[in-house]
Amino acid sequence: MYRYDEFDHAFVSDRVEQFRDQVARRLSGELAEDAFKPLRLMNGVYLQLHAYMLRVAIPYGTLNGRQMRKLAYVARKYDRGYGHFTTRQNIQYNWPKLSELPDALADLATVEMHALQTSGNCIRNVTADHFAGAAADEVADPRPYAEILRQWSSVHPEFSFLPRKFKIAVTGAERDRAAIQVHDIGLHLKKNEKGEIGFAVYVGGGQGRTPMIAKKIRDFLPEQDLLSYTTAIMRVYNLHGRRDNKYKARIKILVHETGVEELSRQVEAEFAELRDTELKLPERDVAAISAYFAPPELGSRAEGWANLAQWKKADPEFARWVQNNVQPHKHPDYGMVTISLKPIGGIPGDATDTQMEAVADIAEEYAFDEIRVSHEQNLILPHVALADLEPVYRGLVAAGLATANAGLITDIIACPGLDYCALANARSIPVAQELSTRFGSPERQAEIGELKIKISGCINACGHHHVGHIGLLGVEKKGEELYQITLGGSGDENTSIGEIIGRGFEPEKVTDAVEVIVNTYLDLRLDPSEIFLDAYRRVGPQPFKDALYGDKTAAAA
Amino acid sequence: MADKVLTANRLSDGISVWLDAAGNWNEHLQDAFVARHKEAVDALEATGRQAFADNKVVDVNVVDVEEIDGVLRPLRMRERIRAEGPSIAYAAGYSGLTATAAPAA
Amino acid sequence: MTKIWNEAGFVTDDPWVIETEDAKAGSNEKAILGLDDFLAKVAEGDETGLGVLINPADDVRRLEGHLDRIALVAVAFPAFNDGRAFSHASLLRSRLTYAGEIRAVGDVLIDQIPLMLRCGIDSFAVSNETALKRLSENRLPGIENHYQPTARPSQDAGSYSWRRRA
Repeated sequence: MYRYDEFDHAFVSDRVEQFRDQVARRLSGELAEDAFKPLRLMNGVYLQLHAYMLRVAIPYGTLNGRQMRKLAYVARKYDRGYGHFTTRQNIQYNWPKLSELPDALADLATVEMHALQTSGNCIRNVTADHFAGAAADEVADPRPYAEILRQWSSVHPEFSFLPRKFKIAVTGAERDRAAIQVHDIGLHLKKNEKGEIGFAVYVGGGQGRTPMIAKKIRDFLPEQDLLSYTTAIMRVYNLHGRRDNKYKARIKILVHETGVEELSRQVEAEFAELRDTELKLPERDVAAISAYFAPPELGSRAEGWANLAQWKKADPEFARWVQNNVQPHKHPDYGMVTISLKPIGGIPGDATDTQMEAVADIAEEYAFDEIRVSHEQNLILPHVALADLEPVYRGLVAAGLATANAGLITDIIACPGLDYCALANARSIPVAQELSTRFGSPERQAEIGELKIKISGCINACGHHHVGHIGLLGVEKKGEELYQITLGGSGDENTSIGEIIGRGFEPEKVTDAVEVIVNTYLDLRLDPSEIFLDAYRRVGPQPFKDALYGDKTAAAA
Repeated sequence: MADKVLTANRLSDGISVWLDAAGNWNEHLQDAFVARHKEAVDALEATGRQAFADNKVVDVNVVDVEEIDGVLRPLRMRERIRAEGPSIAYAAGYSGLTATAAPAA
Repeated sequence: MTKIWNEAGFVTDDPWVIETEDAKAGSNEKAILGLDDFLAKVAEGDETGLGVLINPADDVRRLEGHLDRIALVAVAFPAFNDGRAFSHASLLRSRLTYAGEIRAVGDVLIDQIPLMLRCGIDSFAVSNETALKRLSENRLPGIENHYQPTARPSQDAGSYSWRRRA
């Protein structure tokens, strides 16, 4: 993974001191709140319902044991002993004091971490496939490009006051595990016929109030043009994105209102001017950055096969965990491990400081000291020898991190919702907890198979409900919570926005409604290999509407 | 007119607070001063504006409450959660440590 | 009170005035014209040394071909978070190769001045108390290491191609 050099260290240090000065001026009153707010947002500091919230960047979701230990330390020293991993591969702390934040950021800087640009109308954390560098189907590792974009976008003076936030995602396989089509810019790594690396470029995806699927504006952008082309898009957006209405300020609206052809023409015109400037990426720089992401030395560990078979036979719980939470690695003796942060009945995406330390220990001993955060709010150990799966599992069991539910119905994505978030209209976490408990039996989960439930507590869609197989959107109606259900969403390479199926459900009725949906699916699926999403795409919403609403007209809530 | 209290978040640590009868920013809703007439609400709003200008608090709002058997209850769920804290167990000791146990029926 | 600042310090006797309905440039003053007025003026005569105001929604490229007649371009920040003028200034310098004065006007605050400088803005109409104070102390809150080339040239960092130093 990337390691800071002197330049990076100096930058982050200066940034911490800059923020320290800003905080001091705010606390003394020299800086008013409205001028301070965008500055604190650019340092990832929100004001929530109960307290401030600090969102620490985990660039493209990659970190090592030392960094994870520091996240645990920050949770202990500055917060209440836990953190929340997010749908953009970052971590959030819910109780930091503004006055202590400069010190917390200084502590993070010692392990090459920061909270830069995790909020505000600027370019946010560039996310990537959480299986990057390990997945068998990868064309190329997206992370070097995410790192180049991360550096280039850090305190970019022209693009620090955009019309709205800007999110970029990069993926490296045909299977899109980074949901690039619901990002402002999505980059899909490709090789052309000559074997050269480039990107298919998508623009204008996003969720929130008006979910939209990104439009492809380039089939193949050569690698060397990454920064000049991105600059062209950003400049067009900065100049023409709407600034009159916060809910129409994302680039997706600009694409929609301008039309993709005209917008593409504007981008290409600007790019033509930028293509041969100092923004062109020299091959040696790409090679140098890529070198940081070279895979670890994966020696042959063929004994793992026999060991694994034995352990699975001896321990059905372990077998179940392997089946659900371990994916094939490009090296046959290895696997990619998902550490579920979705304990049955627990809070999706949360981890205590003790659990973070446990993950750090396991990663250092068994996983080449590499950890990932997925946008589905789980942790990943991308390189684990099959021969080490059993001790890894035991370590996870001891830390309460061995729930065998990756990708299953209880692997729920949920935003913090009204329990924490000042923007929310309804709670998400208790809904997730109840659903998880209802469907928690291993047999039931196995029977249902792959089913992604995503819950958002407001229209901002931080829970990514639009791309949930089952999406739940919490709204406020007459002072009470109500949950709108959408079906058939997906964030993969066949991105689809979920369809609203009818009027919403009160909190006490949501779990039953989801159960009706699940049972309807079980009844109509062709066979157990037809997952919920595929069955839905085959039959459409009607059977589910009928089951939920009967003969009554199902007016959308 | 519904009864009202003045609430905000403390600038230095962001903690939710309510103005009490002594004019202090108090972490407990139940100690909040309740304004029951327009003049009292106006005074609350003025106090809020001053406290914001004095850089003691941010995000100042007057919110509706009802008093039931001497207990203050905000009318909006959002404000109830602000007063009571997240509606879920969290931090050390939460059910995550028994994650692989069978769920409750 | 508004003062004009550039990297050499505060400017006294600045002649420039943004003309409005109520305020016109006096005898010792020079008018900063709105874009349409400027374009009308260059069409009708030979005057040089003109001042022009670029508002956020203006297309700064309309100045192309007239740059040799301009002494000052004012780029407006009506709200400090309206970031369009950063692009206007960048385009003026890098695309139109304008070499005259670019002045930030409007809601100019100390924390944005380092960013404005990097985009090629070289003078500032400042009213904000804290900004005036910090500028008089020459305490700008910028960071020296830059991760991107900008309109204002800066030193090669001797590292990756996109890095620069103040």
